[in-house]
Amino acid sequence: MTWLIKAIMFVCIVPSIILMYMLGFSGNPGKKKMIFGVRDNPKFHEGKGQEKFDAIVSSARNGGLIITAIVVILSIVMLFLPVTGGTLLAWILLVFALFLVAAPYGKGNMELKDLKKELGITKSGVTYTDLTSTNTVHALKLAWIILPNVLALLGTIAAVLIDFGVFGVTPAVEKYALTVMSLSFLFIAAIIVPIAVMMDNARNMVISRDSSINANYSRAKKKTWADLFIAFSWANALYLIANSVLMFFTDSEAAVLISTLGYTAVIMVVVIIGVINQRQVESRYARDTELELTDDDDNWILGMFYYNPNDTRLNVEKRLGYGATVNFAHPAGKVIGIVSAVIIIGSIILMIYLNATGQLVV
Amino acid sequence: MIIRIDEYSDVPIYMQIRNQIVMGISSGELKPGEQLPTVRALALEIGINTMTVSKTYQLLKQEGYIMTDRKNGARVREQITQSGVVSEENKLQLRRIVSEARLSGVGKDVLKKLIDEYY
Repeated sequence: MTWLIKAIMFVCIVPSIILMYMLGFSGNPGKKKMIFGVRDNPKFHEGKGQEKFDAIVSSARNGGLIITAIVVILSIVMLFLPVTGGTLLAWILLVFALFLVAAPYGKGNMELKDLKKELGITKSGVTYTDLTSTNTVHALKLAWIILPNVLALLGTIAAVLIDFGVFGVTPAVEKYALTVMSLSFLFIAAIIVPIAVMMDNARNMVISRDSSINANYSRAKKKTWADLFIAFSWANALYLIANSVLMFFTDSEAAVLISTLGYTAVIMVVVIIGVINQRQVESRYARDTELELTDDDDNWILGMFYYNPNDTRLNVEKRLGYGATVNFAHPAGKVIGIVSAVIIIGSIILMIYLNATGQLVV
Repeated sequence: MIIRIDEYSDVPIYMQIRNQIVMGISSGELKPGEQLPTVRALALEIGINTMTVSKTYQLLKQEGYIMTDRKNGARVREQITQSGVVSEENKLQLRRIVSEARLSGVGKDVLKKLIDEYY
């Protein structure tokens, strides 16, 4: 059964780090609009500028490649090690090690910003707004995202009632295990819905002087997000219900782990389909793109974290990868940032503590 | 109609929006009676304070380019009062542009062509 735990961790870690490397360290940096979260500039490709640019890009890419290779090799090695408290902690730490691939990206970002100053590239901050489509383009059908989450809620209520003996039946698993599992997945559902609504209300993108192109482009992008979150919600709700049924009838950890592996694989497939759909929208509208947002690079700390006190929006489109990120200068953005940092650091400390006290067991 | 905001411009944002809406009305991009976004929607879309958009709309209303009411929000005026005179402020701006053009060696005919194009 321990091979299942290893398979789940491997499926989570390896495709994720390869995807992160591919997104952050593109093969043709000179042909992209953004390099490590800094807007490309013709001055980067003239004389001395080109030399320095190449050196920065090459150094950051090598750093990213080394970290990716280390994580992949460690994951493969770990597949052959027995699952003990120590190796389980190592697997969990490997999940957090995914964030390390952002370090050379951030370094490249800072060095390119320094190069901009050295080459005398002036600051720019131009944004476009289409008056015609303001707040009118939406793609999320609320019913489609509410329905699976209502099912998840009903599943959770049933699990709680069973655990508290309201139906007079006893599940095969230990007491309150059903409740804990259901509440965990209901928590995920509670996060998905507001994010989906936030993405659907994001600023419409302006790529053309033609308002109908802008509206269609924004709608197409929002549709890919709506589909992704709806698929997430269904996967989450169906997993919650299927797992509850499994846990009710059997105490088999193998069955639960297999269903978790299936859930993880489904989530990975959903994410990959979402990325492919986004890329298709981008390439479909590439010919129509005549206007380009040139927001200030300095508002992007390390090219990843948006911090702009002059922008009242909470969510903005990401520079790295797909989707949106929060404006950490916004009051709600500050809260989200602090809570996220506390959860990540707290989880690492908790895992180390559990392992040190012998409570991290398989 | 597309509004372009330059956050490093010397012109305040409320004035940048005002100027572009006026140009939009003049060029016909914004038609008489056309609905403008609500203050809140436009502020959210651009990512600025609602007070800034409110200031723009108040200015446009005061200058007679738009009309606002609680039920319909802001709309471009059907009939814009035509005074037939160039304001002193605009005369000053025009004089500055002509002076700069002259100092840059731009001929009068080029400027006249531009006026014909923009008029």
